[in-house]
Formats: sequence, structure tokens, C-alpha cells
Amino acid sequence: MDATNTLAALPLARSRVRPGRRRADAVLRGFCAFATLIGVIVLGSILLMLIVEGVRGFTPTLLTQPTPGPGSEGGGIANAVLGSLILTLIGIVIATPVGVMAGTFLAEYGRTSKLAVVIRFLNDILLSAPSILIGLFVYTLMVRPMGSYSGWAGGVALAIIATPVIVRTTEDMLSLVPGTLREAGAALGAPPSVVIMKVSWRAASAGIVTGIILALARIAGETAPLLFTALNNNSWFNADLMGGIPNLPVMIYQFALSPYPNWQQLAWAGALLITVTILALSVVARVVIKPQRAR
Amino acid sequence: MSNAAATVAAEPLIHPAVKASADTKAPVRIAVKELNFYYGQFHGLKNINLNFHDRQVTALIGPSGCGKSTLLRTFNRIYSLYPEQRAEGQILLDGVNILDPKIDLNDLRARVGMVFQKPTPFPMSIYDNVAFGIRLYEKLPKSELDDRVESSLRKAALWDEVKDKLKQSGMGLSGGQQQRLCIARTVAQRPDVILFDEPTSALDPISTGRIEELIEQLRDEFTIAIVTHNMQQAARISQFTAFMYLGELIEFSQTERMFMNPTERRTQDYITGRFG
Repeated sequence: MDATNTLAALPLARSRVRPGRRRADAVLRGFCAFATLIGVIVLGSILLMLIVEGVRGFTPTLLTQPTPGPGSEGGGIANAVLGSLILTLIGIVIATPVGVMAGTFLAEYGRTSKLAVVIRFLNDILLSAPSILIGLFVYTLMVRPMGSYSGWAGGVALAIIATPVIVRTTEDMLSLVPGTLREAGAALGAPPSVVIMKVSWRAASAGIVTGIILALARIAGETAPLLFTALNNNSWFNADLMGGIPNLPVMIYQFALSPYPNWQQLAWAGALLITVTILALSVVARVVIKPQRAR
Repeated sequence: MSNAAATVAAEPLIHPAVKASADTKAPVRIAVKELNFYYGQFHGLKNINLNFHDRQVTALIGPSGCGKSTLLRTFNRIYSLYPEQRAEGQILLDGVNILDPKIDLNDLRARVGMVFQKPTPFPMSIYDNVAFGIRLYEKLPKSELDDRVESSLRKAALWDEVKDKLKQSGMGLSGGQQQRLCIARTVAQRPDVILFDEPTSALDPISTGRIEELIEQLRDEFTIAIVTHNMQQAARISQFTAFMYLGELIEFSQTERMFMNPTERRTQDYITGRFG
């Protein structure tokens, strides 16, 4: 009997909400759902097209042969994949120590000092600087004086893109380390350097690694900074990395614009490969950060 | 009024059988002389004069913001992590003024250990947590280090609970265990003085009881200063009590006398719950 009473009382209680409010709620919810739907459809169709077109290009020779000559059949993108790996590796190897150290300075030593405020501001600008500018910068700095496009220049350009990402995540993650942990380290008589290396870095390690992986994902797909630095090259490259270095983004850019169906097909395959790689890196980053959140 | 004060002291919560009575003849380890402390412009401690006796527990009590934690934080100069904070006056540790700029802070902090309000285990194994402080100063062979870690954990009454999982992360322990781990880490350095900054305020009553027993045991070896906002706790575990209010030391005496028969009106008001 009681249950029936409660049920009967329910509509009465509900009616205390003005109808206009309920309508406003429904309208806002509708707009949000609509916007989400548009986003998902656009993203979904890009991915779908990429998969449909890209999978066709996944031939047995894709990862074993270098890019073919214009108008010829077959071939693969092995040189571009390897070149991209090398460029990304150079980029991240340069950016990681610089980024982690700078982020550590901002979070641990600089904090609110003038120098730290200026560096933080500049880093934020660098974070959103158009990547083509960074390509031009490295072109002037390295390609012109060295007289040749090179893998080194490409790697440096990618490093400049990755560094601010790593600086930012490192600082953010170190700021999340409770101050009491640093005090506890200092209270045992540990100098700041020991507290940073043994306590702060350790406590923030998952977040810092995630930042590095995200930076890696970011530079793996960068095209603009490579146009002026590593350019491209349709054969295998020299071990000294001088001359153009084949790489996936610029290869995709050039092949997709070409009139040759075989090249276009290889560009699709390359695009799918990059997307899958970046997706995988993002997933890894999420898995890495999880245990830290749980703490 | 005196009746109410007497009730507080007569609380059966006090363990008279366990607690040692104050040894007024114990030598002075820390002598605070005309200490003033500033947070930027704010005058946080005003002309404090106070002695801490060897192997006695001295409790600092008083309402929030009265400066009891501030005072504690001068004894290992942990405040100097923050550039806007400064202390003036003298704090003599065994006769040496530790406020002297020439004092090596790391040496000082090895002699004056500190346990914080919230447990602060480092993100490393239980073993490494305890060994952390030892490794800063001493290069011990593995077996000796093992012994030090074990004896420290035993002194912190944690050994039996963790002896089979020394390689596991210290973050995985319960709050009370983490706090005892922090005590073990401090004890491992063999300090002269241990500072406790509200060590049980984040813990449940059972964990609190264990920490209080532990502090009573540690008194055999160390000079102890403890900040607490729990007056019963001060009554239970300390030999001496200092009552602070608005940055001033209002009264300092043997704990029993303080709770039975305070000389200052403000002390009496505070311990009878009239304000605070």
C-alpha cells in the first residue's frame, strides 16, 4: 500500500519543476547531442575512408620495399617508415632531456620567480606556434649553413615541436606532487637535488612518461616542419642523414598530390599506418597514466 | 571552573601506568631564546622562550593558528624552504644556535627528525623508504643496512606487519601503517630529537592509539616535541606541555600541573573548552 502511495505522490512532486525549465533542459541536451553527433560523424567518416582506402594499399611489399619511381607499379614505403622512425627518435631524444629539465626547473626551482614566469609564457607561445614557422626557423639555422636538407635538421625541428609539450606536462605533473612529500624529503636532510630525483620525479614518473609519449605521437605526424628540413627522398638514404630523408608525412603529401594511382594508393596506406601508430601511442599513454590516478 | 579543569585531567583516557612522570632534572636539549618568526610581514611567533628536556615528550597545544606548528618547524628549519619565512632569536640545540646561517641544514635535519600530519611515504618500496635517510649519510654494507632497516621498523612497531613485503610499495600500506613507516624512516637516521606535527590527526582511533604508545616507547631514546590539537592526547602522552595563543607562549609547565592547575586564565579557558 505504501508503495502505491509513493508512486502516486511522485508526479505531484515532479510538477514542482517549472515546465519551462524542463524544456530548456531538453533543448540544451538536444543541442549537445547534435553537436556530438556531427563531431563523431566527421571523425568516423575520416577514419572509415582511411581504413577502406588504406587497407587496399597494405601489400606484402609495403614494409619491405622503398617507394617506387613515378608511374611504376608495386613498391612500398619502407624507406619512409624507417626515415620517420629515425626523425622521430632524433626529435624525442633531444626534446626529452631538455623538456624534462626545463619542466623540473619551472616546478621545483623557479616556481613564481620572474625567470620562471617568462619561460612559462614563452613555452606556452611555442606550444601553439605554427609548425611551419619552426620548419623555416630550422631551415635558416641548419639547412642553409649546412648547404643541404638533412635528417638532423628534421630531427631538430621535431624536437622544437616536442619540447614545449614535455615541458608543460612535466611541470604540471610535478606540481601535482604534494608539497608535504618534498618537505618530508628535506626533513630527512636530503638536498633539493636528491628530493627532486628520488622523490618528485618518482612520484610524477607516470605523468612525465605520458607527456613524452604524447609528444612522440604529436611529432610522428608532423609534416610542415619537415618540408623545409628533412624534405623527402624516394630512395634509401645515407647513413650520415645528409640530403633529403624519406619520411611518411612528406611522402603522403607528395604522393597524394601526384597523378599516379600507385603513389596515391601508397599515400593512403602511409596515412593509415601513421594514424594507427598515433592511436596506439595514445592508448599506451592512457594505460601508463592510469595507476597514478588510482593513487 | 577549577572543577572542570580537574575533570579533564582526571579523564581515565590517561594511561598513568604507562606514562612516565616528568623528569624536571633532565638536561635541556633545545633552548628557545627570544624567538620571533615572520611570514613576510605577519609576526607569527612573538618572543618565545622555552626549554625542551632530554628524553621527555613536550606537547605544544593551542587553538588553530596559534603558532604551535610554526614553532615546531623552526627546530629543523624546514621553514627555510619558503623564502618569505624567517626566524630571529636563538634556538640552542645542545648549546649550538641552529638559527646561525653557518649551520649545515642537512646535518641539522639528520639530528632533528620530523613526522608530518599526513603520512608521507615516498613512492618506493617499504625497505627503500626506511633506507632513504640512512643512505643520505652513511655507506653501509648490505647486511648492516638490512639490520638498521629491521631495527627501525621494529622500533616503529611495524616490522611484524611488513617483514614479508619489504619490496612492496610503501604507498600500499594503510594510513596508520604509513605513518609508522614514516616514523621508522625518521628513527633510522638515529636523530637526537623527533618532531611530530599532529601525527595522528589523519588517523582512526585505533591507529592513533598505536602511535601514542609508540611515542611513549620512543621517549626512552629521543627527545620528543609534538604538536597536537587534541588536549587529551597531550595529557596522555606528554611530560611537559606548552600552551600557545596568537603567536605567544602563554604557559609552560609539567603536563599534570598544566591540566590540573593552570596558572593562566587563558590556559584554563582553553583546556576547559571555553574557546578554541
